Amino acid sequence: MTKLMKYEWRKALFPKMVLLVITAIAEIAFLIGIFSKKEMWYGLGIEGLVLCAIFGILYIGIESLTTFSKDLNTKQSYMLFLTPHTSYEILGSKVLMNAISIFVTGAFFAVLAIVDIGIGVASIGGVKELLSFAEAFMSVKIDWNNIRQIALMAFSSALVSWLNIIVVGYLAILLSATVLAGKKGSRVVSFVIFLIISGISSYVVNLVTRSMNEIASFWCTVGCMLIFTVIFYAITGWIMDKKLSV
Amino acid sequence: MEFNSALPIYLQVVTAIKREIVIGAIGLGEKLPSGRDLAIRYTINPNTASRVYKELESEGICFTRRGLGTFVSEDPELISRMKAEMAQELLQQFIDGMSRLGITRAEAAEMIRREE
Amino acid sequence: MLESREVTKNYLRKTAVNHVSLQLEPGKIYAILGPNGSGKTTWMKMAAGLVKPSSGEILYNGKPVGVESKKDIAYMSTEPYFYNWMTVKDVGAYYQDFFEDFSMEEYHRLLQRMELTEDLKTKALSTGMMAKLKIAVTMARKAKVYLLDEPLNGIDLMARDEIMRSILESAGSDVTLMLSSHLVDELEKIVSTAIFMKHGNLVTVCDAEELRMQQGKSIVDLYREIYGHGGEQS
Repeated sequence: MTKLMKYEWRKALFPKMVLLVITAIAEIAFLIGIFSKKEMWYGLGIEGLVLCAIFGILYIGIESLTTFSKDLNTKQSYMLFLTPHTSYEILGSKVLMNAISIFVTGAFFAVLAIVDIGIGVASIGGVKELLSFAEAFMSVKIDWNNIRQIALMAFSSALVSWLNIIVVGYLAILLSATVLAGKKGSRVVSFVIFLIISGISSYVVNLVTRSMNEIASFWCTVGCMLIFTVIFYAITGWIMDKKLSV
Repeated sequence: MEFNSALPIYLQVVTAIKREIVIGAIGLGEKLPSGRDLAIRYTINPNTASRVYKELESEGICFTRRGLGTFVSEDPELISRMKAEMAQELLQQFIDGMSRLGITRAEAAEMIRREE
Repeated sequence: MLESREVTKNYLRKTAVNHVSLQLEPGKIYAILGPNGSGKTTWMKMAAGLVKPSSGEILYNGKPVGVESKKDIAYMSTEPYFYNWMTVKDVGAYYQDFFEDFSMEEYHRLLQRMELTEDLKTKALSTGMMAKLKIAVTMARKAKVYLLDEPLNGIDLMARDEIMRSILESAGSDVTLMLSSHLVDELEKIVSTAIFMKHGNLVTVCDAEELRMQQGKSIVDLYREIYGHGGEQS
């Protein structure tokens, strides 16, 4: 399965490279601005970097869906489906690689942000300022008890909704590929199927959580979404295995 | 090699090999290529190639040494016998063709003499 | 052994393969013949596990084709299918990664024979070069079954001999080979059995040498009888 993942990474290398190049340009603009003290340059740089981070992470999240669509609807599908791997492994490698890509991109921008802020502070206020900034950064006392609950909720809801979107997306693309066999309009059909499945599952979740209090309803929603995701994953794998013709 | 695809291919290869033995391109007692190599050399089916050797063996033209391969017989009589057989076969075809045209053997013999 | 039991494939508007039953045995070279649209490609794709039958089943050693059969069956499609970003070298690496029976050494040998170099980009290959690359990478697997769809398509006469040679080198008593073609005369010499398809139906299966011996006919002759023309002679 690591080999499948390797090629999932390789397939989506080009957009990642484009993102990296644009980020590098923004970073250069930022650095020029900082060192030559030109506000317009570093202003543009910061804007560019922020946009890169937001759209980059979003795009890499969605990229996995377009790759999947290509893997089903073009002749390149033979490459993937001739390999002696089960449909569940193929799907799993896609989901995992997508998670890793998003995490790596996120971590990359986080590190870049810390470094850039450090450089900014140092060049404007000098090394002393930088040290006190670093000290302040290190000594921030976070009251973990207070935010643990919120952090956990934010993290699990982000994770589960991302998982749900990706898996329902796969299912929608697969259904349209299986029925329409790559004909025109299959993307639109995929999107409609996606909306219908998402609509039905959130309707069910609403029904289940209607009479609960806020916290219970939140965790119940997360749980339901997770269960739905697993079910959709299994359905997608089954259809791929039994019905899909590429 | 060009084949007549309406005739059994193994017989055509058999004839080709016999001809090579008669003209001396393949020597007596010489090792013949493996069935696989024969198939590749003539671009024919490997099963056809092994059938070629079976046919050659049944005619006593070659023999198989277990684990060593197929060899042309070492019998010195072989070449003259094969030559006679092949000549006989060609002659028969010639005579048949001529008689279908209404040409008698004597007339045909006369034609051959004049050809020289 | 590969066995097709009453296999049917329906598409929205037409039936591509209609109740086809046949058995492919090891040690033989099969030609699957018929004009375009006769169902050859669809049947091969079903045997490769890429297309799922609407009814009936294809069994490999008694089990429906799937993950296990893909380890033993090497399929080569007519259309190019490599990823756009791949070089000839990447194609080999991909097969090396996924097929245990793939031999890099054999791949290099075949590439050399086909006069291809590893740095070539698959996107930039001519039709003939692509056909050679597909053969090289497929025949570099030591598979039990080879299904080659139109292996001679778009290939000049010189290269044809090389391809035929590579195919014959992979033949063996435990290997099943199946080639499809509309250039019937090209396959005449090397096939043991011809399978004729027409409009998705299996017309007849016949042994090539038996046909020549008992009826004095070539496969091309029979082809002409069945389809009313001799196939597109090259």
